[in-house]
Amino acid sequence: MTAPAQDFHTRVEKALRDPQLKIALERTTGNARRKRAAAVAAWPDFEAARAAACAIKDHAIEHMATYLEMFENNARASGAQVHWARDAGEASRIVIDLCKASGAKVVTRSKSMLGEEIGLPHALAEAGLRRVETDLAEHIIQLAGETPSHIIWPAAHRTREDVAKLFDQYHHEKPEGHDVVSMVASARKELRADFFTAEVGISGANFLVAETGAICTITNEGNAELTTTPPRVHIVTAGIEKIVASTEHALQLTRLLVRSATGADLTQYTTFHCGPKRAGDRDGPEEFHIVLVDHGRTRMLAEMPEMLRCLRCGACLNHCVVYRAIGGHAYGGAYPGPMGSVLTPVFDGLEQSRDLPAACTLNGQCKQVCPVDIPLPTLLRHWRARSFRAGHEPKAVSLAITIWAFFAARPRLYRMAQAAALPALRLFAKGGWISSLPLGSGWTATRDFPKPPRQSFLAAIRKGATR
Amino acid sequence: MPETGNALEKPRVGLFVTCLVDSIRPNVGFAALALLEAAGCTVEIPLAQTCCGQPAYNSGADDATKPLARAVIETFEPYDYLVAPSGSCAGMIKAHYPELFADDPLWRERAEKLAAKTHELLSFLADLRGFRPRNVLCKATAAYHDSCSGLRELGVKAQPRALLDAVEGLELRPLEGEETCCGFGGTFSVKYSDISAEIVGEKARNVEAAGADLLLGGDLGCLINMAGKLRRDGARTRVFHAAEVLAGMADRAIGEEA
Amino acid sequence: MSAREKIFAAIRKARPERATPAEIGAQAQACSEAMKRTLPALDQDDLAALFTARASSEKVGASVERVATLADLPPAVARYVASNNLAPDFALQPDPRLKNLAWGELSPGAPLRADSALAVGIALCGVAETGSLVFHSSPEAPTLYDFLPLHHLVALDAKSLVLRLENYAAFAQRLAIPRNVNLVTGASGTTDIEGVLARGAHGPGRLHIVIFD
Ligand code: SF4
Repeated sequence: MTAPAQDFHTRVEKALRDPQLKIALERTTGNARRKRAAAVAAWPDFEAARAAACAIKDHAIEHMATYLEMFENNARASGAQVHWARDAGEASRIVIDLCKASGAKVVTRSKSMLGEEIGLPHALAEAGLRRVETDLAEHIIQLAGETPSHIIWPAAHRTREDVAKLFDQYHHEKPEGHDVVSMVASARKELRADFFTAEVGISGANFLVAETGAICTITNEGNAELTTTPPRVHIVTAGIEKIVASTEHALQLTRLLVRSATGADLTQYTTFHCGPKRAGDRDGPEEFHIVLVDHGRTRMLAEMPEMLRCLRCGACLNHCVVYRAIGGHAYGGAYPGPMGSVLTPVFDGLEQSRDLPAACTLNGQCKQVCPVDIPLPTLLRHWRARSFRAGHEPKAVSLAITIWAFFAARPRLYRMAQAAALPALRLFAKGGWISSLPLGSGWTATRDFPKPPRQSFLAAIRKGATR
Repeated sequence: MPETGNALEKPRVGLFVTCLVDSIRPNVGFAALALLEAAGCTVEIPLAQTCCGQPAYNSGADDATKPLARAVIETFEPYDYLVAPSGSCAGMIKAHYPELFADDPLWRERAEKLAAKTHELLSFLADLRGFRPRNVLCKATAAYHDSCSGLRELGVKAQPRALLDAVEGLELRPLEGEETCCGFGGTFSVKYSDISAEIVGEKARNVEAAGADLLLGGDLGCLINMAGKLRRDGARTRVFHAAEVLAGMADRAIGEEA
Repeated sequence: MSAREKIFAAIRKARPERATPAEIGAQAQACSEAMKRTLPALDQDDLAALFTARASSEKVGASVERVATLADLPPAVARYVASNNLAPDFALQPDPRLKNLAWGELSPGAPLRADSALAVGIALCGVAETGSLVFHSSPEAPTLYDFLPLHHLVALDAKSLVLRLENYAAFAQRLAIPRNVNLVTGASGTTDIEGVLARGAHGPGRLHIVIFD
């Protein structure tokens, strides 16, 4: 992912000015929150299940080398070809080379966040391949020339009215109506032929199953199978942290993943792919390639292994007040929301993404809803500490913090400064409130600040006050 | 360690008043003092206290935080309990001091010992002292906002409601999104004031929709944030720290002058 | 060093493997068991009833009917064709159990096409917990039969039902690993527009399940 040109504050400003965005986000994330809550309520021991899911992932992470080797051997035995990529560039290159070797002109893709992470859409375009996004949301944003703004609902920033406009404009046959069902039907018609012209289908993976060498995908539209079955070549790109021990573990995690994402028990299609077409098979790809990608994951294994548990369910986004306020694009990375604010500094570097971990209230709701109990606030704070140490924070901010801490560590000085500041601040007040705060104009641009007292609590206590 | 305190007839409590209460709303400090005394504690207010260091810690300035944390530890070690009228500051001491000194075995141990006897005021009153306010009258309807640190780091949820339930005339109204962050986040509200404003805007709409006379909570930072937004939006909701109501000291709401 | 070697070196540096395969296996087993203990109780007495309730729930949205034996499938298909105004020719999954049925007026010989109106198939087994049909690909069970038609009608042997996903995983372990496994839970759908569920995305828009004993 190349970072967008504008900086975080500019992107935020743009997002906050867009009233449509707020409506779209609230419809999607509001639905998701309600459905998740209902699903969790129906599982009395959900907290224990989260702990168990955490243990399943941690087990795979603890034995990552063993399980990846097992996966590779089993996948090879099934006829799959396994490739390894250290970074985004390498991963994209492998995919492009495979496409070229197969003589492909048209490539279908089913939604994969890893593909976004390694910049695959861009790489395919550069290689002159026609890319057809087959997931409905990805199709919508491809028409709009955008990137995903949510990891489960890439078009979460688009209202149904927006989608209607796009389909009217771009579909060969306009949708029969602007209700959701008609628009879905229209997309079905529009994309049908491409499934059978593509020479290569590219997908991601939700799990890599060590015990069988299969890759597991969790989808609901049916586009994934139509992307991976008819073309001659199926390429899977997956992060190495997707490894799990067994089919049983994959299914057990799926239970939590899906409930956390959409509130369903399972999505419509839970699929395991194991190698290419076999003797006698009537369908299936002739070549099956798996590209296993590191791209910072081995570094995370050493520095923040908890993050490798992430199932990409999106619950932390749906429950994040910041995400709901600014939407996914403002984050500027492939992954938005709390999990994105932890991941983007890994992929894009901390210096240019330092705002992401900082722009968070650390309210902890993300951790509370995370099916694998990732301590997202702790990890975000970890980035803040790193950024502060490395001197990435704006000079004015680090200076202010340092000066304030200097005073706070010296109670006498602190008292003196406080005794001077309180009456001074009171001068700005009118009728109990300050509506323009010196050094806090951002705060008072939209809210008032209460007039401080003449003297502090401790000063009053020192003088013997009791109330 | 804290469990022995359970049996204490009259525990010695060090009241950590928090820097915000100290500077912005002393009435919360007086209310806390009164409540703790009513709950049978001997309360001392160490004058050397300033701030728990959370603004620095959450800015990533660990080195600047450490002297503040050490000072709090030294100051409050002698007491049976440290009690603070804030889930966020109590959470800082309880959950984050031990993390801060992860690589410093000596201070880590002291931090853990203090953490074990540190409590947020309302949960301390309800859980450890079995306290209920008596003969406190407040004829009003109120909505309650669960501040995030208290709720998620310390499990403060039922306690304030149980206490407020004992206030005569007070009727609690449901608040949509009562567990959703108000957008304060300490320095976040200054550094990213525009995002913070958007979040507190939604909160203020929900508070107004609840239609209660009062908005109560257990953390002054969040209360100031919400009160400031409500006031700017022209809402009539009066905002108090729950301790002020419980102590019968809810005369002037945040921003109301004598 | 190749990319592969570098990646493995980095992993082993951070997480050197100290356990024996037997120990790792035991840990993995313990993890599954711990998860099983958290699962909500399910009524195990009548798997077909449980399956039916789940599959026909609003969340899953399939329709389910029960017949006495597999020989009753053709009349069930005829009824479905009639009530949905479909043509009598449809694509039949090349499973010998289906081919040999007495199809009567119906013509099950239509080839599977990108726009097939109806395909009739048979599931390997079903998972009662979730109302899912399980298909293992083979020459007799091509994958696309489950995805191309607009209507998918599937026969399911009541004796093949398992209670939970874990039971399916245990069952699958005893079979050869197929090229493609599909757990199909309801007709295709999408929530991509405003999080609202709409049925019939790229896969079938209707899923009808006929349980036989
Ligand atoms: S961090 Fe947790 S909640 Fe967020 S996407 Fe990953 S698994 Fe889901």
